[in-house]
Amino acid sequence: MSNPPSIHKIADRTFAVDTPNILFATALAGWVAWYCWDAWHANAAVENMILILPVSLAGVALYCFVVAGCIKRVSQAEEPCLPSNEPMGRGLAIKIIGSMAMLAALVLAGPLIGFDIATFAYMLGMMIFLGERRILVLLLFPLVFSAAVIYCFGTLLATPLPVLLFRGQN
Amino acid sequence: MLDLHALIAALHLLGGSWQPWAVVIPGILIGLLIHSVPGLTTSMALAICLPLIPYMTFLQALIFMTAMYAGSVFGVAIPAILLNVPGSAAAVGTTFDGFPMARAGKHNEALGLALVASCFGQLVVYLLLLGLAGPIGAFALKLGPPEMLVLSLWGVTLIGTLSGHHLPRGLLAGAFGLLLGTVGVSARGVPRGTFGISLLLDGIPLVPAIVGLFAAAELFNLVGREYIVDNLEQRQVHASRILAGMREAFRHRTVMLRGALLGSCIGIIPGGHAIANLLSYSEARRAAKDPEKFGTGDPRGILAAETANASSEGGSMATLLALGIPTGGATAVMLVAFSMQNITGGPSFMRDHADLVYAVILSNLAQVAVLALVGFAFIFVAGFVVKVRLRMLVPTILTLAVIGSYALSHDIAGPITLAAFAIIGWIMHKLDYPVQAAVVGLLLGRGTEGNLLRAYQMSGGNFSFLLTRPIAIVMMILLVASITFPHLRSMRAAAQKGKLKWTVENS
Repeated sequence: MSNPPSIHKIADRTFAVDTPNILFATALAGWVAWYCWDAWHANAAVENMILILPVSLAGVALYCFVVAGCIKRVSQAEEPCLPSNEPMGRGLAIKIIGSMAMLAALVLAGPLIGFDIATFAYMLGMMIFLGERRILVLLLFPLVFSAAVIYCFGTLLATPLPVLLFRGQN
Repeated sequence: MLDLHALIAALHLLGGSWQPWAVVIPGILIGLLIHSVPGLTTSMALAICLPLIPYMTFLQALIFMTAMYAGSVFGVAIPAILLNVPGSAAAVGTTFDGFPMARAGKHNEALGLALVASCFGQLVVYLLLLGLAGPIGAFALKLGPPEMLVLSLWGVTLIGTLSGHHLPRGLLAGAFGLLLGTVGVSARGVPRGTFGISLLLDGIPLVPAIVGLFAAAELFNLVGREYIVDNLEQRQVHASRILAGMREAFRHRTVMLRGALLGSCIGIIPGGHAIANLLSYSEARRAAKDPEKFGTGDPRGILAAETANASSEGGSMATLLALGIPTGGATAVMLVAFSMQNITGGPSFMRDHADLVYAVILSNLAQVAVLALVGFAFIFVAGFVVKVRLRMLVPTILTLAVIGSYALSHDIAGPITLAAFAIIGWIMHKLDYPVQAAVVGLLLGRGTEGNLLRAYQMSGGNFSFLLTRPIAIVMMILLVASITFPHLRSMRAAAQKGKLKWTVENS
């Protein structure tokens, strides 16, 4: 994600281009433009567009500034448009993307199979994924934590959660 | 100004029985505990405890709820500092310098600073309330949509000042947030930006989105590390270092007083408590001689945000007690508690039950001392977070956030919002887009649109109408000043630097 800017040669000039930043800014601006279009199509009245239209126009203008700031001539740029963070190693990137995928799995599985089972599986999976190898900790911590969370939310806070095993609590 | 008869009656009410005092410590503890879990809010805690209200006297119920409120004011700072997870919008400003301090191993000092700031903010606002409850309520009535619009715009301009090195990115993130805040059914009754998903008709769930944006960036960034604080010595919880943080707070009395006064004023306005901490943070940064230190773990950042947060909660209590107008979710739930006791809130409540109002104010002043003691003890419990291995802490916090967001929305909209904004927040963080700019926009989007629309309708399409509103004019001047002063200062500094360089080169 945080790769250094890629170098492109156009004619005799060399440019440093921060591609990830341009892609993200394009995604933001694309959503802004789509949202304005969607709101306009829903109702073009002043009451509906009074904030959305000017802010969307400002957003698209700002996008141009962001993109312009991400393309610099190497010879002129004292400080190319480098991301502020250190480049990420492959192993760390896999861990972060894996953590995101597991979070998405918890979100989708919780209401389907019950938060008791989903929480236990998520905690166990994440702890193994992040490097925990002690068997006792791997079994006890997710079990106790899942039970405590379901009990607290279900009984003490009287908040109904979808569960599979702890039905008495909800 | 001060009704002495009512004040004496209030002292009799509080001194005549131990029962009103019995609920103070449980209330503060519940407030602290609830808010130390990301995703749970004060209004949720108050709502959960509503069934207890019929078993209490009205005074007891009021003191119990304000004690929970007092506890939550400091409680919300704990995950903000230790985990960079603001439990609510009111703690967003606290994360800016709180978490950098925690990562630098100064979590003891940061929590001590936050505790003093919370107590100081509450002390100031309730002292003000004691003398000015009536006039404050009357002033709140004078604020119409134009003033609220200017206030919202003031909040939005924070985006520019908070955006660090890349102004266009900060403003783009702010515009993105503002538009996100308006997703859902509009004033015209048409859905916008919902992709046809019925769960989005009420808009994007705010708390899950904010927890996702903030929690994600840091929790995903912490993946791969062993502890939040690498140094073993710095992981310890030391009473002496908490006390050092508390002492440090008193070295910045101006910052605290400014934050408390700003928060008191903004808190009386509906929704004001959500932006009081940000405005105060911005003002402290603007007024500082070394604004570049803000955001890197500067104690003044925590003090400015926390004093404003604490005092704004008191300000919203002023509007509730004097006018019966809830300025946020928590005070709305308190108004429900009023009705459960067959009491109608509003100006008549202030007139007919002035003794109760003063009793609540006096008990809150006493609660400040209790909060200082209970909060100090609670820091020891909360401070152990930095001793937990991140491979256990990261999934624990993410799970609590997911389940908390489900409990809040009662459907899958909360968790999905959290996960989606978690990923967006991480990408923004990685590419140096200020997440806080998007959060400020998200918070103010709906309110800004509503106030703009009402101001437009009041003016009949002619915005020179704003010039007939003196309060709005004063606020506009303050807004312009808060934008231009930092730039003028940096231009002057650059000019002086250039002059110095010229002098050195020519000497």
